[in-house]
Order: sequence, then C-alpha cells, then structure tokens
Amino acid sequence: MEEPRIGVFVCHCGRNIGAYVDVPGVVEYVKGLPNVVHAERNLYTCSEEGISAIKKGIQEHNLNRVIVASCTPRTHEPLFRSACEAVGLNKYLFEFVNIRDQCSWVHMHEPEKATEKAKDLIRMGVAKARLLEPLEEIEIKVTPSALVIGGGVVGMGAALNLAAQGFEVHVVEKEPELGGTLRSVYKLYPTNEEATKVTNPLIEKVKNDPKIKTYLSAKVKEVSGFIGNFDVVVNQDGEESKFNVGTIIVAIGADKLKPTGQYGYGEMPNVLTQLELEERMKKGEPVGQNVVMINCVGARVPERTYCSRICCMTAIKNASLIKESNPKAKVWILHRDLMTYGVDFENYYRKAMELGVRFIRYSLERPPQVIGDGKAEEIKAYHELRREEIELPCDMLVLTTPLIPAEDNQDISKMLKVSLDEFGFFLEAHLKLRPVEFAMDGIYICGSAKWPTDVTEGISQAYAAASKAAGPLRMGYVKPEAINALVNEDKCSGCGICELLCPFQAIELQPRDGKRVSHVNEAVCKGCGTCGAACPSGAIAMHYFTDEQILAQVEALFS
Amino acid sequence: MDNFEPKIVAFCCNWCSYAGADLAGTSRMQYPPAIRIIRVMCSGRVSPFLVLKALSVGADGVLVLGCHPGDCHYIEGNYKTMRRIPLLKKVLKQFGIEEERVRLEWVSASEGAKFAEVANSFTQSIKNLGPSTLDNLKQSSKGAKHG
Amino acid sequence: MAEKETTVITEAEKILDRENIIAKAEEVLDQGYDGIIGLRKRWGHVSPYLFTTKDELKELELEPRYNLATFVRQLKNKWPDARLGIVSRGCDERALDKLEELGVFSKEGVVFIGITCSMEQAEECNCEKPIYTPLDCTGCWKCMEECPKDAITRINVCPILVPDQFNLGLGQRKAIYLPFPQAVPKKNVRDPNHCLRITEKLECKGCENACEAKAIVHDMADQIVDLDVGAIIVATGLDFYDVSGLEEYGYGKIKNVVTAMEYERLTSASGPTLGSLDRPSDGKVPHNIAFIQCVGSRDFRCEPYCSSVCCMHATKEAMMAYEHEPGTKSTVFYMDMRAVGKRFQEYIARAKSDYNVTYIRSRPGRIEVNPENDNPIIWYEDTTTGEIKKFEAEIVVLAQAMIPQITKDLAEILGIELDENGFVKTPGGFLQPLDTTKPGIFACGYVHSPRDIPDSVTQASGAAGRAAEEIASLHSQGGK
Repeated sequence: MEEPRIGVFVCHCGRNIGAYVDVPGVVEYVKGLPNVVHAERNLYTCSEEGISAIKKGIQEHNLNRVIVASCTPRTHEPLFRSACEAVGLNKYLFEFVNIRDQCSWVHMHEPEKATEKAKDLIRMGVAKARLLEPLEEIEIKVTPSALVIGGGVVGMGAALNLAAQGFEVHVVEKEPELGGTLRSVYKLYPTNEEATKVTNPLIEKVKNDPKIKTYLSAKVKEVSGFIGNFDVVVNQDGEESKFNVGTIIVAIGADKLKPTGQYGYGEMPNVLTQLELEERMKKGEPVGQNVVMINCVGARVPERTYCSRICCMTAIKNASLIKESNPKAKVWILHRDLMTYGVDFENYYRKAMELGVRFIRYSLERPPQVIGDGKAEEIKAYHELRREEIELPCDMLVLTTPLIPAEDNQDISKMLKVSLDEFGFFLEAHLKLRPVEFAMDGIYICGSAKWPTDVTEGISQAYAAASKAAGPLRMGYVKPEAINALVNEDKCSGCGICELLCPFQAIELQPRDGKRVSHVNEAVCKGCGTCGAACPSGAIAMHYFTDEQILAQVEALFS
Repeated sequence: MDNFEPKIVAFCCNWCSYAGADLAGTSRMQYPPAIRIIRVMCSGRVSPFLVLKALSVGADGVLVLGCHPGDCHYIEGNYKTMRRIPLLKKVLKQFGIEEERVRLEWVSASEGAKFAEVANSFTQSIKNLGPSTLDNLKQSSKGAKHG
Repeated sequence: MAEKETTVITEAEKILDRENIIAKAEEVLDQGYDGIIGLRKRWGHVSPYLFTTKDELKELELEPRYNLATFVRQLKNKWPDARLGIVSRGCDERALDKLEELGVFSKEGVVFIGITCSMEQAEECNCEKPIYTPLDCTGCWKCMEECPKDAITRINVCPILVPDQFNLGLGQRKAIYLPFPQAVPKKNVRDPNHCLRITEKLECKGCENACEAKAIVHDMADQIVDLDVGAIIVATGLDFYDVSGLEEYGYGKIKNVVTAMEYERLTSASGPTLGSLDRPSDGKVPHNIAFIQCVGSRDFRCEPYCSSVCCMHATKEAMMAYEHEPGTKSTVFYMDMRAVGKRFQEYIARAKSDYNVTYIRSRPGRIEVNPENDNPIIWYEDTTTGEIKKFEAEIVVLAQAMIPQITKDLAEILGIELDENGFVKTPGGFLQPLDTTKPGIFACGYVHSPRDIPDSVTQASGAAGRAAEEIASLHSQGGK
C-alpha cells in the first residue's frame, strides 16, 4: 500500500464549531500528526468555497486520503465524497469526523474540553484513514424481465403494469385458469359488479399481451440467485421451464378458512360460508327466506386474533344482494364491530340498512347458538344493544370466515428466502415505509398473500409492487455500496456461523479445494457486520469498518 | 476522584444511535465530554473482542448503542448484540473488571434526549467507579485477533 | 385553551432592554468614543443629549421616538473629528444615510447602537423589501440563537413572535423559523405575513445581521416555473375538520377538550411543551384521559364517512400517555373499533391488557365542565348496559374527522373532479383505482380516500407505477 498522504479540513461551520472549539489550534495540532501532509480550516466546508478548497488541496498536495472534520456524515458525506471523486480520488478514501453535532454543540460550556475532544476525534479519524483502502462498487447487470407468482387479479394487474412499462413478464399460476379467488366470487362490493366482468377483460389482456408469458397448472419449483439475476425453474405438469429474471413479485393470494365444527358447519346442509353462498347465487340457486349471517367466525378469537378486513363488507354485500333480489327475505348480520371504514364502505353499509338488512351486535363472551334438528332452524343470540336474548328464524346460516395464509406460503418462503410474519402471511420489509417489499432485495409482495385485501386495495398494491419491481429493471444494473464483507478463504475454517447469522442470506458455504469456505454474495451483502463480529477465525473483513480500522481508532484515542 | 476525566468509547450504529447522538447535538443537549463515538453500521458489528480491546488500551467505559429490538436496519443485528454484550459482561466479572464499565442501550434516531441522558448517567457511573485499572496493553491490532 | 387569534406579540421589551443598550453604550465609551447621542429627560421633558460619562448613561431614555438625525448632523458639523455613538432606530439610520447622500453629513467615526421599534411603532414606518435565498443557506442556524430554557425551540434574533401553525397555535415561533425539526431542506424560512421587513413595516436587520453566510438577500420574488410533464400525481393529503361547530363537545369553550392533533403536538418531544402533556387549563399532567371517536365522522351533520385511522391513533395516543405517565387511565368512547390492518387487533388487545385502556361503546351526547377543577364531564349512554352515565376525565381528546386537502381551485386547474366529500373522484373502477377523471393524472393517499400510512405509501408507489405505465405507453406511441 502506498504511503498515506492525509489532508485534513477542519470546519468552523461559522460559529457552530468555531465559537467553542479552537479551530486554529486544532489545525496546528493536526499538522503534527504522522502522515498528515496538509491541514487547513474552512469557514463552511460544505460551501462552494469549501468544496473547491478540498479539490485544490487534493491536487496541490497529492493527497490520497481526505478527512473533513465538521458536522455529521449523515448530512454531507455524499457531498464530500463526490468532491474527492471529482478529482480522481476513490470516495472510500474519505473519512468524516463529527466535531459539531457530537462535540461543539454538546459541550458548549466547556470549550477547552470540546477542543481536546475534537483533537481526539480527528486523531482517531486520521488513524482510520491511514488504513483505508480504495473500494470499487460493482455493477450488477439486471435481466430486464420479471416473474409474477400468482395469476389472480392482483398478479395480473402487476404483470400488465410491468409489461406496459416494456418488460417481459412470466406469470406462474397453479390453477388451470387465471383469475384466482375472483373466479368463485359472485359480485364485488361496493359497486356490485359481477366479478367475472372485472377479471375476464384482464385475463384477455394478459393472454394477448406479447410481453407476458403465462404458465398455467404450474408451480415455481426452484429459485436461485439474487436481485437482477434470479434463475427460476417452473414445473408444469412434469414439464420444466427455466428462465432468468431480474425481479420477482409474489401474489399468490390467500386461502379461505373452512369453519368445520363451528355453528354446525359440515354437519348441517344449510350452513355455508360466504363464498359458498356466492357460488349458489352465481348459479341462480335459491337462497333462504330467513338468512342469518354470523361474522368473525374463526377471526378475532383467541386462536386467530386478527381481523380479516374484507369479511364485513363481503357479508353486507351478500346480504344486500339477497335483499335486492328478494325484498321480502329477512337477513340478519350478527357482528362484533363493523369494519366499514372509509367513504364507500360507510355508504354501502347505510344502503344495506335502507334495504332492510338488520345488524345485531353480539359479543365474544356470548356467541350465538344454532338450534335445529339436522339443519339450522333457529339462531339464538344475545343482542348486546337491546340486552336481551333473541331468537331468529333461520333457513340458511352463513358464516363469515377470515382469509388465512395460503398453504403454499411455507414453501415459497423457503424457496425465495423471504420471511413470514407471526400469522403466516408474508412479512413485508417495513409495515409502514416499505409495504410491498421484502427485506430481500429484488422480491416484492402484494395482495392477500401479505394481508387480506379487497380488489381495489389489491390492485393498488399490484401497481406498487410493479413500480418497485420495475426500478432495477429500468436502471439495468444495481450498484450496492462497497461497504460489504469479504472472506479470507485461507483463514476460513468453514464453521458456517456466518451463514447462519446473515439476515439476508448473503453468505453461502462453498466447496474450495477440498474444504468448505464462506462466500459472500456482494450483490446481496449490506455490510451490517454481524458476520464479521462473529467469525471465530477473524476471516471476515468488513470493508470500510475493518477490525484494524476500528481498533486503530480506539488505540489512537488512548495514545 | 474529583479531577478524574474518564474517556469512554461509544460504539454507535449508523441508523439509530449515531443519529440519536446527532439529534442531541442539534437540540443542543449538553452532556459531559467524556464520550468518544465510533461509528459502525450496525451494533451487530461490535464483537466482544472490540469491547475488550477498548478496555485493554485504557477505556474507562464502553457504551454499545443500537436500535431498539425490532427496529434494526439490518433486521437482526441488534438481537445478536442483545446476546453478546450481556454475556460479555458476565465474562468481565471473571476477569476482575467491573461489568458496569460496559453498558448496552437502545437509542433510536429520534431519541436525542435519551442519548444525552445515557451519556450523562454513564459518565457519572464511570466517575464513581474510578479510572480503569487495566495496564495499558499496547498490542498490535493487526493479526492477533484472539491472542 | 390556547390563544386562537393571530395577535402578534413582539419582544419589544427585550429589545428595548435598557440594560442591554446602556451596556453597549458603555462599551462604546470604553473604546474611547467621545460621546453617545441619545435622549435624556431634563426639566420635565425629553430631548437629545450627548452622554459623555457612564453615570450620565443611567438617565438614558428610549421613549418617545425622536429623530436624532438633525441633532447629530449639527453636532458633527461643529465637531468634525468627533467619534460618536448614537442610540438609534432604523429611521435615524436611514435619515443619516440620506443626509450622507446629499453630502451634508459623514458617517465616519459614527457607530450605531440600535433599537428595534415595537410592532405598534413599526406600523407607522416604511421600509425596503428583503427576501431570503435558501440556496446560500448552509443550515448552520446562526440566525437562531440558543435559549437555555428551550433546548429544542430555539429563540432567534427575530423580534416577531406569532402562533406556530405547525403546533396548531399551541406554541410560538419567529418570523424566521425552522418549520419543524424534520423539515427538508433543514433550513429556515421567512414568514412573509409577519416579517417586519417583508411587510415593509420596518427595516429590521435582525436575521440579516446574524447570518454569516449572507444568505439573506433582497431581490428574489415568487417564480412561475413551467414544467413539461407526462403525468401528474396528486398527493395533497388531509386536513382537519373544524369541530368547534359541534357544540356538544365544547371544543373551543372547555379548555381541557383538545383535538387529537393538538394532543399529538403536546406529547411530541419537539412540540410546544417538549413532550409533556400539560393540560391547557392549568398545565397539570392528566392521569385520566378520555378519547372520543367519530367526532365529525360518521355524522350526517358533518362528514358521513369514516376517517379510518382514528380508532388506531386514539389507541396509540392512549398507550403513549401510559408510557409517559405510568398509571394513566384512558377510556375510549367508540362506535366500531376499526382495527383492520396487520397487527392492529393485537395492538388493541395490548392496550386493554397492558396499558390500562378501557373501551366503552358509546357516542357521548354532551361534555360539560366541572368548575372546581376544570375537568371535562362526559354525558354518555353505555350502549351495552343502557345506562346514562357521567364520566369525569382530566382531559378529553376528540378524534376529529379528517378531510381531504385539495381546494376546488386546484382541482379546477388540474381539470379533475372531486366527489361530494371533496375526495378526488376515481372513476376507474376496480382496475384503475388511482386514476382521476383526467387521463394522466393520478391520486394517492388521503386525498384519494381515508387511508393510513401503509396504505398511503402503497398507493404512492402504485400511483408512480401507473404514471410510469402512462409515460411508457406514450413513449411507445411516439409521443414526447
């Protein structure tokens, strides 16, 4: 390694540093540190003047390491790094020392101590800078195509959006037809349009789109690789297709709970789920004259605490449809809170009331009872608001059940190395800020596979996931920051601890000359350092934060 | 000791505690000048070795600050820290080093006040403990990782 | 209740601080100046005087205003070599500038010890226009000086204090201020409505003198920028329904009835009370809080729809109160607990089990006040028992309805339609939920429909995806 020639630029930041830290004194001190060939002070290093001074300093003094001692890297590190790059210095040869937010501003009443601390901190920074090495960011080419797993309305929506943006899309659907859950649904709330009228045009578009390749009765068998380069194997009735994609969207939807054993389901022929009711209505089969619906069956209970979001509206929809086609029919909905949030859903709820649907609040502590011999004939319930037992004549009992995680979730989670949440649905990277992404780069999630969702929200999510998935595809490459881990294969003992610890599955043990050594996938590694801290052989170096560099800082503090 | 000025090394993770320390600064919250922050990307980077080294070269105290459990930018790094540091403290006792010289705290990016409070209270507790009694073991930091 | 009128309070007292001015004048004398020109009361009235000793300065008068320019000129003409200090206002300085221009006076050897006029005095003055260029500002905040009492809310050298709209009027800010701690860019902005210079009331140089980056300049105006774009996304968010018209809740009349947003600002670490939930009437921290849901929502008089997020935010607020002050008891009066998102039901359950939050199904009919302790008293029917009850809390938080934030003007300019509630109309049905009535314009977030953060963020990405699709299809059609 060449002899370090370090330049240090100490900022006054107007009075923010200058009024508390003796900046000229610090500059003098710094000049005396080994390997420091240039030190100067600036009023505002981040100003145009300051940036020019850095560039000039690098050129005039042939600097190969630069330190700016000023505010915080979280504001201006990119700015100073690009100043270095502009004159040909690798940006990873730049080190930032925080002498404002973590020094002058917090020791305002002790200027001498603040000055001493600033000297300490810069000495530490110089010690690290001596050991910095240039790092190259690798560019990973991205295959400009995507995989969408799931051919329901959400998967199709995502695929069409990606195709419209110009990318090839592979859609893999396990059923013999596209359409997903909506094939069974009768009408959609809040407009009461027929579901098939919504999905059929979508299916046609997908089939006719030259950029979309559909695999029906197919399942994804294997996925390997990483963002930009996923190798996918699809199994279609024994036949395998292989292709390579840049990003993946998971849109496999959810399963429906069958409430066997509850409220006579499975034993009494006139006890159905909402979906079964819809199938009957679709076929034009008669529904009852006295229809009782019980909401939150198998949901918001100790065994399954979550609310499935879409069921209240589903129940109200079906109740409204029954009343519309048969105004004399009596329909009661027994519920424990009505989740008709927003604008359209409240309106829909009100309309249902106007149509004559009756809403009765029951509580978890006093569930309704089904009375009948061989079939449901009467429902006894405790009406919470009238505070009395009521008896409802019933010739059809409809149970509103939640969506549950699809049974394929476990397999897909393992195959793609993505996480499931505590309920078994897919776990997004961040509930609020990254709602359609997985922590794993390049893979995205939308629809009921993530959380029960209706069509409108699902399509929004589909667009969102497609939008995110298109990012790397459009860029054509990804360039992860070079602060990643590097394994010294000679030192690696193949213990595998790092492989287990990596939150991103970026490490894999691979055979090398008869033994196994760790290999870090630079494309995926985020540089957190968990592996580096754990390696018993000291074989992993964390670029830009190596043990040597950190220890140099520590030792410099006490020298 | 009245004139004992401790020197405390604080390993702060880039995404949470370092940002929290910055916020303490922008809010002008004052704390004793004993703290010297070393930035790492994740508290999971901080191995017991680094903490021990810091103590061995003369740190009177070592702070390890990370994101709150569940909030780690790298998902699980702080869970590792959550296990390593308490274990390390137990080991320190056996070496005759007061385990109170090492402290683990969770400071989020918005907790400037907490950072200042931790800095204040830790500095005070180190002052009460007195200076570190470890000899200044100047080992070369290259190579001998577990010497 | 916090002051709702926009009266402007100046720090005239501080600036007209005699001590400060006298101290400065003494300094000038110490530097060997021949004298200080100011006002002194003699023989029953105030007139210009040349102070030559510190003792005399004890009798310095700052009121009334008396333009000293003539006196100064006459003195200097008799005594050209004099080095003088002048206790002056802006008008004095301007007058002397003009005299210098006319060639009858020289400012050499003259130093000004400035006084800033109060607002009332400023009304009678005229001034030039100043404007602020953010480009040069380095965010060093030199123009704000730190106050030892307010570690977070910094007081700066600007003399104007107005109610802080970010803190809903519960706190104050200067006419040059940082809008909120997370502002992007994190630079100060000027308030064109209250800044003395911008409103041409006074040539105040407070911020300009403080700024070492010289970022405050005088010749910038609003710019009209022409943008040629292929798609537009409307994400203008939400505003709050004014619940003071709902008299039964007593908002605006009963001090300790606050809105949820005011509660948020009070409990925010960067808010006007630095995170202490000081109740408005007496500043005491309450340990018995009532939250009332659906105030203005699900109400035919106001907004018939459900604002969607209030059930969850009230629960969060109740939990926060407990975290701040363990033992706090919170009661939430609700209609339906709409906790439909991931982990939301579990959150409510935790609130009940670990945070001392009770949920009562009820829509309170009236809030009165207990005159002895200013506690609000809620009259309500517990719908599950049928009883009419009174509930005395120390503070009541109203979960006010949230309305879409888009003016009819903006909608007209964009050419998009709004529905009867003011939300952006989305005629695209199920498959184009983010499209507005105008092709190429998309909407997301609360202005689209009542949405929480996860859904809004999703819609944001979704709208971006739709916009990308539009633009891509325009490209492929050979469009621009």
